[in-house]
Amino acid sequence: MSSKTSRFKLLFIGLAVVCVALLLAETLIVKVQTTYVRKEPKFYSPPVATLSAGESVTQISSQAGWFKVRTSKGVEGWIHSQAVQTGKFAVAAMDKSLKTSATADEVALAGKGFNKQVEDEYKSRNRGMSFGEVDRMLRIKVTPDELRRFLMDGKLAEFGGAR
Amino acid sequence: MRNPKTRFVIVLGGLVFLATLFMTCQTIKENIGALTGGKVSTSDVETVEKTSKALRRSFAEITEEEEYYIGRAVSALILSQYPVYKNDALTKYVNRVGNAVVIHSDRPETYAGYHFLILDTEEVNALATPSGFIFVTKGLVKRCQDEEMLSCILAHEVGHVSAKHGLQSIKKSRLIDAFRIIGAEAAKRYTPERLSQLTDIFENTLGDIAEKLIERGYDRKYEYEADTLSVKTSARTGYNANGLLDFLGTMVDDTSTESDKGWFKTHPSAKDRIGRVQKEISAVQTMPLKNDARTKRFQNSMKALK
Repeated sequence: MSSKTSRFKLLFIGLAVVCVALLLAETLIVKVQTTYVRKEPKFYSPPVATLSAGESVTQISSQAGWFKVRTSKGVEGWIHSQAVQTGKFAVAAMDKSLKTSATADEVALAGKGFNKQVEDEYKSRNRGMSFGEVDRMLRIKVTPDELRRFLMDGKLAEFGGAR
Repeated sequence: MRNPKTRFVIVLGGLVFLATLFMTCQTIKENIGALTGGKVSTSDVETVEKTSKALRRSFAEITEEEEYYIGRAVSALILSQYPVYKNDALTKYVNRVGNAVVIHSDRPETYAGYHFLILDTEEVNALATPSGFIFVTKGLVKRCQDEEMLSCILAHEVGHVSAKHGLQSIKKSRLIDAFRIIGAEAAKRYTPERLSQLTDIFENTLGDIAEKLIERGYDRKYEYEADTLSVKTSARTGYNANGLLDFLGTMVDDTSTESDKGWFKTHPSAKDRIGRVQKEISAVQTMPLKNDARTKRFQNSMKALK
């Protein structure tokens, strides 16, 4: 009786550990238009993958505002916490069709609210607005490498000397 | 110490709880399908799931994507009033300084990132619209004497974005109306009637923000908060935050033709801000020193400025 109970207990504890581990491996969903997965948890670290809104990654660990993640293609790197929304559980996201339902409002509301359709209607009512200039402004980019060199040359952030 | 039977029940109970949690999402999805007799598509099922969420209530619940569309439209409004100063090298430089500050701010990620543009006017002004569209005038850039001054101004504007001061200018009743329409609409695209209603609200929302940004200025408490954030962010980036004091110093007792426009009109008096900024600066434990390499590249970038 006692050895049978022990075996049952071991089996249940083992199953519980597996379940908890699966639930803790959290899925993160990108909530910004595009972002990088970076080699190190720094904005000027080289990108190892590019992600778009709605794509999901698996969290491996976290550190001061950054998540270490694995992409669906198996690439590992760091993503900033503000670029993603935490999903419910990895197990739910294993079913691809559940991707949206496994998230909270930010991702579920993607494409709703004030969106392109509303902007187009607003544009048709206000033809003098300079959306072309806004689109040109959005094309101005500073690459991570450019930013790293700029910080380094200017002795800024971690490259700083005298304080 | 519990007896083996009690422990067995606890372990079993835990497992049942975990299994229930795991099954919940799938069950909800299947039930929606069952309720509709399987006559709706997967995307419709997902839409029902989305709209079943509780109505949003405040500016804090505006999504990143919605904030982006608001920011785009307010920026289009600004750019219809001011021409862009066409100087690629200087624009690039301002974007580098700006992004150096952004990555050390409280909000380094927005929907489409931060972008900086120079407006071709002698007016002294800097404007930030939601989601990270930041404008500085040629008149303001000319007043800067080194990279520290420019970085502190940009950090002040990044502070407005990071603390969502633009979104906080939207009348609450307007947001409630918008959220009601958005929550009630199950389809992916709006019907003409709903679209018209929502666009009316969108236009008024832009009006709320533009009025504060261009005409009346933000509440004083927001300007002071942006100054506080500027000092912290600049110092974190490695800039000497006295750059903000230096800039404000150029605005005290200004008698130029621009002194009744832009920043002069929409911001609290420079004298008033200087006292507060000095206190913030004295609270910074280790203030970075100015650096010749930075001043040199600032001067090089400014050479073409006319």
